[in-house]
Amino acid sequence: MLKTLKEIIRTGDATVKYPFAPIERPKDARGKPEHDLANCMACGACAVACPPNAIQMVIDSRAQSTSWSINYGRCVYCGRCEEVCPTKAIRLSTEFELAVMDKNDLEEICMYSLQSCTECGSPFAPAKEVDYAYRILTQFVDDPDARQAAELVKVCPRCKQKRDSQRAKQNFESLGGVS
Amino acid sequence: MILEHEVPLNLQFQPEKKVLDEGIAKAKATLLNDIKRSIYLYRVDCGGCNGCEIEIFSSITPVFDVERFGIKNTPSPRHADILVYTGAMTRSMRMPAIRAYQGAPDPKLVVSYGACGCTGGIFHDNYCVWGGTDKLFPVDVYIPGCPPSPPQTIYGFAIALGLLGQKLHHSELVEGADEHVTFRYEDIPYKMRVAFERKARLYAGYRTGLELAEEFMEVLRVEGSGSLKEVDALIARQADPRRAEVLTQLKTELNMLLNGLDETPRPLLEQASSFGV
Repeated sequence: MLKTLKEIIRTGDATVKYPFAPIERPKDARGKPEHDLANCMACGACAVACPPNAIQMVIDSRAQSTSWSINYGRCVYCGRCEEVCPTKAIRLSTEFELAVMDKNDLEEICMYSLQSCTECGSPFAPAKEVDYAYRILTQFVDDPDARQAAELVKVCPRCKQKRDSQRAKQNFESLGGVS
Repeated sequence: MILEHEVPLNLQFQPEKKVLDEGIAKAKATLLNDIKRSIYLYRVDCGGCNGCEIEIFSSITPVFDVERFGIKNTPSPRHADILVYTGAMTRSMRMPAIRAYQGAPDPKLVVSYGACGCTGGIFHDNYCVWGGTDKLFPVDVYIPGCPPSPPQTIYGFAIALGLLGQKLHHSELVEGADEHVTFRYEDIPYKMRVAFERKARLYAGYRTGLELAEEFMEVLRVEGSGSLKEVDALIARQADPRRAEVLTQLKTELNMLLNGLDETPRPLLEQASSFGV
Protein backbone atom coordinates (compact mmCIF):
# COMPACT_ATOMS: atom_id res chain seq x y z
CA MET A 1 0.00 0.00 0.00
CA LEU A 2 2.68 2.44 1.08
CA LYS A 3 4.78 1.31 -1.84
CA THR A 4 1.95 2.04 -4.28
CA LEU A 5 1.37 5.46 -2.78
CA LYS A 6 5.06 6.24 -3.04
CA GLU A 7 5.07 5.18 -6.68
CA ILE A 8 2.04 7.39 -7.38
CA ILE A 9 3.71 10.41 -5.79
CA ARG A 10 6.96 9.72 -7.62
CA THR A 11 5.23 9.44 -11.02
CA GLY A 12 3.20 12.61 -10.56
CA ASP A 13 0.38 13.80 -12.79
CA ALA A 14 0.56 12.66 -16.40
CA THR A 15 -2.49 14.56 -17.63
CA VAL A 16 -1.88 17.83 -19.47
CA LYS A 17 -3.48 20.98 -18.10
CA TYR A 18 -4.43 22.03 -21.61
CA PRO A 19 -7.69 23.97 -21.76
CA PHE A 20 -6.79 25.76 -18.52
CA ALA A 21 -3.13 26.34 -19.37
CA PRO A 22 -1.41 26.65 -22.77
CA ILE A 23 0.02 23.43 -24.16
CA GLU A 24 3.55 23.14 -25.48
CA ARG A 25 3.64 22.12 -29.14
CA PRO A 26 6.63 20.54 -30.91
CA LYS A 27 8.63 22.97 -33.08
CA ASP A 28 7.59 21.38 -36.36
CA ALA A 29 4.02 20.45 -35.42
CA ARG A 30 1.73 20.84 -38.40
CA GLY A 31 -0.84 23.52 -37.71
CA LYS A 32 -2.61 26.35 -39.48
CA PRO A 33 -0.85 27.50 -42.67
CA GLU A 34 -0.09 31.18 -42.11
CA HIS A 35 -0.44 33.21 -45.27
CA ASP A 36 1.43 36.49 -45.62
CA LEU A 37 -0.61 38.76 -47.89
CA ALA A 38 2.21 41.25 -48.45
CA ASN A 39 4.75 38.66 -49.62
CA CYS A 40 2.35 36.57 -51.69
CA MET A 41 2.46 37.37 -55.41
CA ALA A 42 -0.59 35.24 -56.32
CA CYS A 43 1.40 33.01 -58.68
CA GLY A 44 -0.89 30.07 -57.87
CA ALA A 45 1.85 27.49 -57.24
CA CYS A 46 0.20 26.53 -53.94
CA ALA A 47 -3.23 26.21 -55.56
CA VAL A 48 -1.75 23.78 -58.11
CA ALA A 49 0.11 21.79 -55.46
CA CYS A 50 -2.69 21.60 -52.88
CA PRO A 51 -3.90 17.93 -52.85
CA PRO A 52 -7.40 18.54 -51.39
CA ASN A 53 -7.92 21.86 -53.29
CA ALA A 54 -8.13 23.75 -50.01
CA ILE A 55 -6.30 26.60 -51.70
CA GLN A 56 -8.08 27.87 -54.76
CA MET A 57 -7.62 30.79 -57.11
CA VAL A 58 -10.44 32.28 -59.13
CA ILE A 59 -9.76 34.91 -61.79
CA ASP A 60 -12.38 37.60 -62.35
CA SER A 61 -11.19 39.27 -65.55
CA ARG A 62 -14.10 41.73 -65.60
CA ALA A 63 -13.15 43.14 -62.20
CA GLN A 64 -9.45 42.78 -63.16
CA SER A 65 -8.76 40.88 -59.99
CA THR A 66 -7.88 37.40 -58.84
CA SER A 67 -8.83 35.90 -55.52
CA TRP A 68 -6.71 33.54 -53.47
CA SER A 69 -8.68 31.58 -50.91
CA ILE A 70 -7.92 28.91 -48.37
CA ASN A 71 -10.42 26.74 -46.57
CA TYR A 72 -8.94 25.53 -43.28
CA GLY A 73 -11.74 23.00 -43.05
CA ARG A 74 -10.45 21.19 -46.09
CA CYS A 75 -6.73 21.60 -45.48
CA VAL A 76 -4.88 18.39 -44.60
CA TYR A 77 -1.78 20.20 -43.27
CA CYS A 78 0.58 18.41 -45.67
CA GLY A 79 2.79 21.47 -46.22
CA ARG A 80 2.95 21.17 -50.00
CA CYS A 81 2.06 24.87 -50.31
CA GLU A 82 5.01 25.75 -48.09
CA GLU A 83 7.26 23.53 -50.20
CA VAL A 84 6.39 25.16 -53.52
CA CYS A 85 6.01 28.80 -52.49
CA PRO A 86 8.75 30.79 -54.28
CA THR A 87 8.54 33.77 -51.92
CA LYS A 88 7.95 31.77 -48.71
CA ALA A 89 4.70 33.64 -48.15
CA ILE A 90 2.94 30.60 -46.69
CA ARG A 91 4.28 28.51 -43.83
CA LEU A 92 2.70 25.99 -41.50
CA SER A 93 2.53 27.36 -37.98
CA THR A 94 1.92 25.38 -34.82
CA GLU A 95 -1.45 27.08 -34.28
CA PHE A 96 -4.04 24.34 -33.70
CA GLU A 97 -7.05 26.11 -32.15
CA LEU A 98 -9.11 26.17 -35.33
CA ALA A 99 -12.49 24.82 -34.28
CA VAL A 100 -15.38 27.12 -35.23
CA MET A 101 -19.16 27.32 -34.84
CA ASP A 102 -19.79 28.73 -38.32
CA LYS A 103 -18.41 27.20 -41.49
CA ASN A 104 -17.72 30.60 -43.08
CA ASP A 105 -15.13 31.30 -40.42
CA LEU A 106 -12.93 28.57 -41.85
CA GLU A 107 -12.30 30.55 -45.02
CA GLU A 108 -9.75 33.24 -45.78
CA ILE A 109 -9.92 35.21 -49.02
CA CYS A 110 -7.27 37.58 -50.41
CA MET A 111 -7.77 39.74 -53.47
CA TYR A 112 -5.01 40.67 -55.93
CA SER A 113 -5.13 42.95 -58.94
CA LEU A 114 -4.28 41.78 -62.45
CA GLN A 115 -1.73 43.28 -64.84
CA SER A 116 -3.15 44.57 -68.11
CA CYS A 117 -1.26 43.91 -71.32
CA THR A 118 0.45 47.07 -72.58
CA GLU A 119 -0.57 46.25 -76.17
CA CYS A 120 -4.10 44.87 -76.14
CA GLY A 121 -5.14 46.00 -72.66
CA SER A 122 -6.56 42.68 -71.48
CA PRO A 123 -5.57 41.43 -68.00
CA PHE A 124 -3.38 38.32 -68.07
CA ALA A 125 -1.42 37.76 -64.82
CA PRO A 126 -1.31 39.08 -61.24
CA ALA A 127 0.41 42.47 -61.17
CA LYS A 128 2.66 41.50 -58.27
CA GLU A 129 3.86 38.39 -60.08
CA VAL A 130 4.74 40.41 -63.19
CA ASP A 131 6.55 42.96 -61.03
CA TYR A 132 8.52 40.19 -59.27
CA ALA A 133 9.54 38.62 -62.59
CA TYR A 134 10.62 42.01 -63.93
CA ARG A 135 12.77 42.72 -60.89
CA ILE A 136 14.49 39.33 -61.16
CA LEU A 137 15.09 39.69 -64.90
CA THR A 138 16.63 43.15 -64.55
CA GLN A 139 19.24 41.65 -62.19
CA PHE A 140 20.84 39.77 -65.09
CA VAL A 141 22.37 42.76 -66.86
CA ASP A 142 24.73 40.74 -69.08
CA ASP A 143 22.15 38.30 -70.37
CA PRO A 144 20.54 39.44 -73.69
CA ASP A 145 17.70 36.91 -73.34
CA ALA A 146 16.83 38.24 -69.88
CA ARG A 147 16.94 41.80 -71.21
CA GLN A 148 14.52 40.95 -74.00
CA ALA A 149 12.23 39.09 -71.58
CA ALA A 150 12.26 42.09 -69.23
CA GLU A 151 11.15 44.35 -72.09
CA LEU A 152 8.22 42.09 -72.91
CA VAL A 153 7.22 41.25 -69.35
CA LYS A 154 4.05 43.33 -69.43
CA VAL A 155 2.86 41.93 -72.74
CA CYS A 156 0.35 39.10 -72.70
CA PRO A 157 1.24 35.72 -74.27
CA ARG A 158 -1.11 36.25 -77.22
CA CYS A 159 0.47 39.58 -78.15
CA LYS A 160 3.92 38.02 -77.77
CA GLN A 161 2.92 35.31 -80.24
CA LYS A 162 1.63 37.97 -82.64
CA ARG A 163 4.91 39.89 -82.39
CA ASP A 164 6.94 36.73 -83.00
CA SER A 165 4.94 35.79 -86.07
CA GLN A 166 5.22 39.31 -87.50
CA ARG A 167 8.98 39.28 -86.96
CA ALA A 168 9.24 35.86 -88.60
CA LYS A 169 7.27 37.16 -91.57
CA GLN A 170 9.55 40.20 -91.89
CA ASN A 171 12.66 38.00 -91.74
CA PHE A 172 11.22 35.68 -94.33
CA GLU A 173 10.42 38.54 -96.71
CA SER A 174 13.79 40.23 -96.20
CA LEU A 175 15.44 36.98 -97.27
CA GLY A 176 13.47 37.23 -100.52
CA GLY A 177 10.94 34.54 -99.73
CA VAL A 178 7.74 34.15 -101.70
CA SER A 179 4.80 35.53 -99.74
CA MET B 1 -16.01 30.84 -53.71
CA ILE B 2 -15.03 27.20 -53.26
CA LEU B 3 -15.99 25.16 -56.30
CA GLU B 4 -17.49 21.87 -55.20
CA HIS B 5 -17.55 19.95 -58.47
CA GLU B 6 -17.04 20.50 -62.16
CA VAL B 7 -20.52 19.11 -62.85
CA PRO B 8 -23.29 21.77 -62.78
CA LEU B 9 -25.27 21.86 -59.54
CA ASN B 10 -28.62 20.97 -61.17
CA LEU B 11 -27.15 17.69 -62.42
CA GLN B 12 -25.84 16.69 -59.00
CA PHE B 13 -27.86 14.87 -56.39
CA GLN B 14 -28.65 17.21 -53.51
CA PRO B 15 -29.42 15.46 -50.22
CA GLU B 16 -32.19 16.85 -48.07
CA LYS B 17 -30.89 18.66 -45.03
CA LYS B 18 -32.53 18.22 -41.63
CA VAL B 19 -33.89 21.48 -40.23
CA LEU B 20 -34.12 22.11 -36.50
CA ASP B 21 -37.54 22.90 -34.99
CA GLU B 22 -37.77 26.21 -33.22
CA GLY B 23 -38.60 24.53 -29.94
CA ILE B 24 -35.62 22.21 -30.16
CA ALA B 25 -33.31 25.07 -31.03
CA LYS B 26 -34.52 26.94 -27.96
CA ALA B 27 -34.10 23.87 -25.76
CA LYS B 28 -30.59 23.45 -27.08
CA ALA B 29 -29.64 27.02 -26.22
CA THR B 30 -31.02 26.58 -22.69
CA LEU B 31 -29.21 23.28 -22.26
CA LEU B 32 -25.89 24.81 -23.30
CA ASN B 33 -26.37 27.70 -20.89
CA ASP B 34 -26.86 25.55 -17.87
CA ILE B 35 -25.56 22.08 -18.33
CA LYS B 36 -25.05 20.39 -14.99
CA ARG B 37 -24.06 16.86 -15.83
CA SER B 38 -21.66 14.76 -17.89
CA ILE B 39 -21.84 14.88 -21.66
CA TYR B 40 -22.14 11.58 -23.45
CA LEU B 41 -20.68 11.29 -26.88
CA TYR B 42 -21.52 8.98 -29.75
CA ARG B 43 -19.21 8.67 -32.72
CA VAL B 44 -20.30 7.87 -36.29
CA ASP B 45 -17.76 7.12 -38.99
CA CYS B 46 -19.38 8.05 -42.29
CA GLY B 47 -16.51 7.05 -44.54
CA GLY B 48 -13.18 8.27 -43.24
CA CYS B 49 -9.77 6.66 -43.05
CA ASN B 50 -9.99 5.84 -39.29
CA GLY B 51 -7.32 8.44 -38.46
CA CYS B 52 -9.94 10.57 -36.68
CA GLU B 53 -11.07 7.60 -34.55
CA ILE B 54 -7.50 6.98 -33.46
CA GLU B 55 -7.20 10.61 -32.38
CA ILE B 56 -10.55 10.52 -30.56
CA PHE B 57 -9.38 7.49 -28.60
CA SER B 58 -6.01 9.02 -27.89
CA SER B 59 -7.81 12.01 -26.40
CA ILE B 60 -9.41 9.74 -23.80
CA THR B 61 -6.02 8.36 -22.75
CA PRO B 62 -4.60 9.49 -19.37
CA VAL B 63 -2.43 12.18 -21.01
CA PHE B 64 -5.30 14.21 -22.50
CA ASP B 65 -8.17 12.61 -20.59
CA VAL B 66 -11.35 14.30 -21.80
CA GLU B 67 -13.24 12.23 -19.21
CA ARG B 68 -12.11 14.73 -16.59
CA PHE B 69 -14.67 17.11 -18.15
CA GLY B 70 -17.29 14.39 -17.98
CA ILE B 71 -17.16 13.69 -21.72
CA LYS B 72 -17.71 9.97 -22.08
CA ASN B 73 -17.81 7.79 -25.15
CA THR B 74 -21.05 5.84 -25.25
CA PRO B 75 -21.88 2.78 -27.38
CA SER B 76 -25.44 3.83 -28.22
CA PRO B 77 -26.85 7.00 -29.80
CA ARG B 78 -29.81 6.71 -27.38
CA HIS B 79 -27.53 7.87 -24.57
CA ALA B 80 -25.73 10.54 -26.54
CA ASP B 81 -25.75 14.32 -26.07
CA ILE B 82 -23.10 14.93 -28.70
CA LEU B 83 -22.94 13.16 -32.04
CA VAL B 84 -19.48 13.24 -33.55
CA TYR B 85 -19.46 12.62 -37.29
CA THR B 86 -16.07 11.71 -38.70
CA GLY B 87 -15.26 11.16 -42.34
CA ALA B 88 -16.89 12.54 -45.46
CA MET B 89 -20.63 11.96 -45.89
CA THR B 90 -20.76 9.07 -48.32
CA ARG B 91 -23.76 7.66 -50.10
CA SER B 92 -23.44 4.19 -48.54
CA MET B 93 -23.17 5.48 -44.97
CA ARG B 94 -26.05 7.95 -45.17
CA MET B 95 -28.59 5.59 -43.55
CA PRO B 96 -26.48 4.74 -40.45
CA ALA B 97 -25.72 8.47 -40.11
CA ILE B 98 -29.40 9.42 -40.33
CA ARG B 99 -30.44 6.61 -37.95
CA ALA B 100 -27.89 7.73 -35.38
CA TYR B 101 -29.20 11.29 -35.70
CA GLN B 102 -32.79 10.15 -35.29
CA GLY B 103 -31.84 7.83 -32.43
CA ALA B 104 -30.19 10.50 -30.30
CA PRO B 105 -32.62 12.35 -28.04
CA ASP B 106 -33.14 16.09 -28.56
CA PRO B 107 -31.57 18.51 -27.77
CA LYS B 108 -28.31 17.16 -29.16
CA LEU B 109 -25.13 18.72 -30.46
CA VAL B 110 -23.65 17.69 -33.80
CA VAL B 111 -19.89 17.95 -34.23
CA SER B 112 -18.13 17.68 -37.59
CA TYR B 113 -14.80 16.08 -36.86
CA GLY B 114 -11.77 16.27 -39.14
CA ALA B 115 -11.21 17.76 -42.58
CA CYS B 116 -13.49 15.18 -44.22
CA GLY B 117 -16.29 15.82 -41.73
CA CYS B 118 -16.05 19.58 -42.25
CA THR B 119 -15.99 19.84 -46.04
CA GLY B 120 -15.28 16.43 -47.51
CA GLY B 121 -11.53 17.00 -47.14
CA ILE B 122 -9.26 15.28 -49.60
CA PHE B 123 -12.17 13.11 -50.77
CA HIS B 124 -14.37 16.13 -51.57
CA ASP B 125 -14.57 15.41 -55.31
CA ASN B 126 -14.98 11.63 -55.03
CA TYR B 127 -17.95 10.16 -56.87
CA CYS B 128 -19.64 8.74 -53.78
CA VAL B 129 -18.96 11.69 -51.48
CA TRP B 130 -21.69 14.22 -50.82
CA GLY B 131 -19.45 16.57 -48.86
CA GLY B 132 -19.27 17.33 -45.17
CA THR B 133 -21.67 16.42 -42.38
CA ASP B 134 -23.49 19.73 -42.92
CA LYS B 135 -24.98 18.38 -46.15
CA LEU B 136 -27.37 16.32 -44.02
CA PHE B 137 -27.52 17.78 -40.50
CA PRO B 138 -27.30 21.18 -38.85
CA VAL B 139 -23.74 21.21 -37.44
CA ASP B 140 -22.85 23.07 -34.25
CA VAL B 141 -19.07 22.81 -34.20
CA TYR B 142 -16.53 22.15 -36.92
CA ILE B 143 -13.21 20.71 -35.77
CA PRO B 144 -10.78 20.85 -38.71
CA GLY B 145 -7.53 18.91 -38.87
CA CYS B 146 -6.33 15.82 -40.67
CA PRO B 147 -6.68 14.26 -38.16
CA PRO B 148 -7.31 16.79 -35.36
CA SER B 149 -4.77 16.27 -32.60
CA PRO B 150 -6.05 15.57 -29.05
CA PRO B 151 -5.55 19.21 -27.92
CA GLN B 152 -7.49 20.31 -31.00
CA THR B 153 -10.26 17.86 -30.03
CA ILE B 154 -10.36 19.19 -26.47
CA TYR B 155 -10.52 22.74 -27.85
CA GLY B 156 -13.40 21.78 -30.15
CA PHE B 157 -15.42 20.23 -27.33
CA ALA B 158 -14.66 23.25 -25.13
CA ILE B 159 -16.14 25.45 -27.87
CA ALA B 160 -19.15 23.16 -28.22
CA LEU B 161 -19.83 23.43 -24.48
CA GLY B 162 -19.19 27.17 -24.44
CA LEU B 163 -16.10 26.97 -22.20
CA LEU B 164 -13.78 28.74 -24.65
CA GLY B 165 -14.35 31.27 -27.41
CA GLN B 166 -13.41 30.63 -31.04
CA LYS B 167 -10.24 32.20 -32.40
CA LEU B 168 -10.57 31.83 -36.16
CA HIS B 169 -12.78 34.25 -38.07
CA HIS B 170 -13.70 34.77 -41.69
CA SER B 171 -11.31 37.21 -43.30
CA GLU B 172 -11.36 38.98 -46.62
CA LEU B 173 -8.16 40.85 -47.36
CA VAL B 174 -7.19 43.07 -50.27
CA GLU B 175 -3.60 43.71 -51.33
CA GLY B 176 -2.24 47.17 -50.55
CA ALA B 177 -1.79 49.70 -53.33
CA ASP B 178 1.65 49.54 -54.99
CA GLU B 179 2.72 46.63 -52.84
CA HIS B 180 5.90 44.75 -53.80
CA VAL B 181 7.12 41.33 -52.78
CA THR B 182 10.32 41.66 -50.74
CA PHE B 183 13.33 39.81 -52.09
CA ARG B 184 14.74 37.41 -49.56
CA TYR B 185 18.52 37.85 -49.09
CA GLU B 186 18.71 40.59 -51.66
CA ASP B 187 22.47 41.08 -51.16
CA ILE B 188 23.16 37.50 -52.26
CA PRO B 189 22.96 37.02 -56.07
CA TYR B 190 19.68 35.42 -57.13
CA LYS B 191 21.20 32.39 -58.85
CA MET B 192 23.49 31.72 -55.88
CA ARG B 193 20.58 31.85 -53.45
CA VAL B 194 18.58 29.46 -55.62
CA ALA B 195 21.59 27.10 -55.83
CA PHE B 196 21.97 27.05 -52.02
CA GLU B 197 18.30 26.45 -51.42
CA ARG B 198 18.11 23.74 -54.03
CA LYS B 199 21.11 21.90 -52.65
CA ALA B 200 20.03 22.16 -49.03
CA ARG B 201 16.53 20.93 -49.90
CA LEU B 202 17.96 18.03 -51.88
CA TYR B 203 19.87 16.86 -48.81
CA ALA B 204 17.57 17.72 -45.93
CA GLY B 205 14.04 18.10 -47.31
CA TYR B 206 12.14 21.31 -47.87
CA ARG B 207 11.62 22.40 -44.30
CA THR B 208 14.94 21.62 -42.62
CA GLY B 209 16.74 22.30 -45.89
CA LEU B 210 15.34 25.80 -46.12
CA GLU B 211 16.13 26.38 -42.46
CA LEU B 212 19.76 25.35 -43.04
CA ALA B 213 20.10 27.40 -46.22
CA GLU B 214 18.73 30.43 -44.39
CA GLU B 215 21.14 29.91 -41.51
CA PHE B 216 24.00 29.64 -44.01
CA MET B 217 23.01 32.78 -45.93
CA GLU B 218 22.46 34.66 -42.69
CA VAL B 219 26.11 33.99 -41.84
CA LEU B 220 27.28 34.94 -45.35
CA ARG B 221 25.71 38.38 -45.22
CA VAL B 222 27.33 39.24 -41.87
CA GLU B 223 30.77 40.10 -43.21
CA GLY B 224 32.31 40.51 -46.63
CA SER B 225 35.80 39.05 -46.43
CA GLY B 226 35.86 37.01 -43.25
CA SER B 227 32.60 35.24 -44.05
CA LEU B 228 34.22 31.90 -44.89
CA LYS B 229 35.63 31.81 -41.38
CA GLU B 230 32.13 32.46 -40.09
CA VAL B 231 30.86 29.56 -42.17
CA ASP B 232 33.50 27.26 -40.65
CA ALA B 233 32.46 28.45 -37.20
CA LEU B 234 28.83 27.72 -38.04
CA ILE B 235 29.70 24.19 -39.16
CA ALA B 236 31.79 23.60 -36.01
CA ARG B 237 28.87 24.80 -33.87
CA GLN B 238 26.49 22.12 -35.14
CA ALA B 239 25.76 19.37 -32.63
CA ASP B 240 24.01 17.23 -35.24
CA PRO B 241 26.46 15.70 -37.78
CA ARG B 242 23.75 15.62 -40.46
CA ARG B 243 23.28 19.38 -40.26
CA ALA B 244 27.06 19.87 -40.35
CA GLU B 245 27.25 17.68 -43.47
CA VAL B 246 24.61 19.72 -45.32
CA LEU B 247 26.32 22.98 -44.35
CA THR B 248 29.67 21.57 -45.55
CA GLN B 249 28.06 20.76 -48.88
CA LEU B 250 26.72 24.32 -49.05
CA LYS B 251 30.25 25.61 -48.42
CA THR B 252 31.55 23.44 -51.28
CA GLU B 253 28.83 24.90 -53.46
CA LEU B 254 29.85 28.41 -52.45
CA ASN B 255 33.50 27.71 -53.27
CA MET B 256 32.48 26.26 -56.59
CA LEU B 257 30.35 29.27 -57.49
CA LEU B 258 33.00 31.77 -56.39
CA ASN B 259 36.04 30.16 -58.01
CA GLY B 260 34.31 28.46 -60.91
CA LEU B 261 35.85 25.15 -59.89
CA ASP B 262 34.79 21.91 -61.51
CA GLU B 263 32.34 19.86 -59.57
CA THR B 264 34.16 17.92 -56.88
CA PRO B 265 32.99 14.35 -56.47
CA ARG B 266 30.11 14.22 -54.03
CA PRO B 267 29.09 10.66 -53.21
CA LEU B 268 25.80 11.65 -51.57
CA LEU B 269 24.66 13.61 -54.59
CA GLU B 270 25.56 10.74 -56.90
CA GLN B 271 23.53 8.41 -54.74
CA ALA B 272 20.62 10.80 -54.94
CA SER B 273 20.83 11.14 -58.70
CA SER B 274 20.93 7.37 -59.13
CA PHE B 275 17.48 7.33 -57.52
CA GLY B 276 16.26 9.79 -60.10
CA VAL B 277 16.18 12.85 -57.81
